[in-house]
Amino acid sequence: MLIDCDANATYAPDEELRGVIAGCLELVGNPSSLHRAGQRARAAIEQARVELREFLSVSAQHSVVFTSGASEANNLVVASAAALTSGALVSSAIEHPCVLEPLSRLKAGGREVMLAKPNEEGEVSVQSIAELVKPGCSLVSVMLANNETGAINDVRSIAATARKIEPKVLIHADAAQVAGKLALSFDDLGVDFLTISGHKFGAPAGVGALVARHGAPLQPLILGGPQEGKLRGGTENVFAISAMGRVAARVRAELPARIKRMREARDQFEALVLEAIPGAQVNAAKASRLPNTCSLFIPGVRAADLVVAMDLEGILVSTGAACSSGKPEPSHVLQAMGQAEERVRATVRLSFRADAKSDDAGLVAAALGRAVERARK
Amino acid sequence: MNSQQQPSTAESSRSVVVAMSGGVDSSVAAYLLAKEGERIVGVSMQVWDYKKNSSENSRATCCSPADFCDARRVAAALDIPYYVVDFEATFEKEVIERFVATYQQGLTPNPCIDCNSKVKFRELRERAASFGCSHVATGHYARIEKGADGFRLLRGRDSEKDQSYFLYTCRQDELERTLFPIGGYTKPEIREIAREAGLVTAEKPESQDICFVAGSVQDFVAKIGGTKSRGAFVTKDGTKVGEHDGIHRYTVGQRRGLSLGGQAEPLYVVDIDPLSDQVVVGTRDDLKRESFAVSDLHWISPKLLDAATRGPFPVEFEAIVQVRSRHRGVKAKVSIESASRCVVSWQDDWAAVSPGQAAVFYDSELNQEVLGGGRILR
Repeated sequence: MLIDCDANATYAPDEELRGVIAGCLELVGNPSSLHRAGQRARAAIEQARVELREFLSVSAQHSVVFTSGASEANNLVVASAAALTSGALVSSAIEHPCVLEPLSRLKAGGREVMLAKPNEEGEVSVQSIAELVKPGCSLVSVMLANNETGAINDVRSIAATARKIEPKVLIHADAAQVAGKLALSFDDLGVDFLTISGHKFGAPAGVGALVARHGAPLQPLILGGPQEGKLRGGTENVFAISAMGRVAARVRAELPARIKRMREARDQFEALVLEAIPGAQVNAAKASRLPNTCSLFIPGVRAADLVVAMDLEGILVSTGAACSSGKPEPSHVLQAMGQAEERVRATVRLSFRADAKSDDAGLVAAALGRAVERARK
Repeated sequence: MNSQQQPSTAESSRSVVVAMSGGVDSSVAAYLLAKEGERIVGVSMQVWDYKKNSSENSRATCCSPADFCDARRVAAALDIPYYVVDFEATFEKEVIERFVATYQQGLTPNPCIDCNSKVKFRELRERAASFGCSHVATGHYARIEKGADGFRLLRGRDSEKDQSYFLYTCRQDELERTLFPIGGYTKPEIREIAREAGLVTAEKPESQDICFVAGSVQDFVAKIGGTKSRGAFVTKDGTKVGEHDGIHRYTVGQRRGLSLGGQAEPLYVVDIDPLSDQVVVGTRDDLKRESFAVSDLHWISPKLLDAATRGPFPVEFEAIVQVRSRHRGVKAKVSIESASRCVVSWQDDWAAVSPGQAAVFYDSELNQEVLGGGRILR
């Protein structure tokens, strides 16, 4: 038995999707070649772009730029804003490190950088951003939903409010955790940039995209070729780009049913676990959240040990953000929400998949209850 | 030549956490248990942040991230679950702080014993229990035998590699749930098993040093504990014969590195006084003590445990007493004076003792069974 409750770390493709992805291995040409192999690869990339446009509701005048993933896309936005504008850069304390670290380097170099604090529910409020945006501000970058708590930010209102203060401000939404979990519309969101990551919704790792509003300023991080509208040098990762397009098409077709199943599993799990484990609390419970994400504080346990205990029961969970070492750093997200380190180290994250079976929530809650009981002995 | 403690087929209810350092010994320990059909879980203990605590780019000999990569590869080859588990807080408090403080008191610490008693066989066991595992296994060269009145801890079969000296703090209830899969083999046999099994750690060099110290021990103590003041080398009668740069650099019995030239006989450190920061030097004969006291006693032998708990005192017995890790032991009379203190009186021969180090008592007949042990008092 294996129950994967760590979909926010990576959404492993199911068997059907693995078949779809494997089919892309046949695309072996260089898209810049003039001959038939090259043209076939070029066509596959453009087909993927069309599928991404539909998946993310991006109308034709805007661009979809393929990158190596969300980290590259986010770095591209921050670096471009830093290089092509001179005003302040505004973001939030709960962003992914691939936004926070570029900003922190820029700040060390003298650039004005300001981070909004989330509220206790993990939300970055319109108000908290509005307080930081002054006339002349260059960039507002706020994630659409947080990977650890699942809390959703009202980026649409944030964009509208920020533009009232500075009409030219660029708005970026990191939507890496949203694609595949909620309907997503670039056109409707009204932002200048939107980031997605392939492996968060079933495509292979190593591919993502940046959607950019027509005319929004960008300059490449990687020089050396005309690929992706001169925004990203290097031969395209045809296999992964094409796989992401095909996977996006599948996910889009099934999205309402997927959302429903994730929400049912998560809600059922939370109801069971709050009853079974004394003192357990769901973080960001009052926020509007991703349908699959549960950040759970369990007093008196070491979250990292619970991950091991659950794994030995065949259930994959996480301490928070994915981390390869045995000693995860305490979550900056929960700490920014005002939580003490002790509480943060006792918090596990479960993120359910769209193919969760009807008895999964019960099995997971029961296994977690047993593991907590052993840990508290 | 096989170890007596493992049943030929695994007990169905037990599951074993194997502490895997990334070295050949613990790799083979895991391999042997896996071959027996035990349900095992590989764990590397993250005890010390080398990146944070090392000024140089140097790397200690064990438990660095590169060693964990090796452990992970062995676990993958054995197809067992494997995790890196964080023990830094306990290790810092129970091992590092004590290590530094002991040197600063002019005593000689033994961090491996503290690590075994407080980390490997205490906290690791608790963490293993929270994973649902009943037993802990390590790659120590030592053996456990079940006797009529309890468990016996024995030297490893390879007398060169024997590590039972470091394990005298094990309690009966701990021995009951501990496995030493390689204790019945010699080191060359372990290497051979590793080679035959194709383990990637088969040819890895030995780690002899203190695992958390990348450079010199003395620099480490100075860095973590703050530099201690300089002081004088004096002879027994108080004559100053030189200057040293901190008592933490010396250990009783030490001969090398004193840089005191022009003496008729080689000089040894015979005492260290932390109050005056004096290091007393003398000849080898000055190291000789007819007897010495031992505190912080642990008894493994059920008979001695019982006697040391109840009295009446003194309880006297003969033992082979080992006073350092690389020492075969010398015959002595041990007199337990209370639950917390005993006196060791050398018999025919003697050995120089370093206060702070462990004195471990082995059976006087075969010099194989660990009866108990404690810390040598000044």
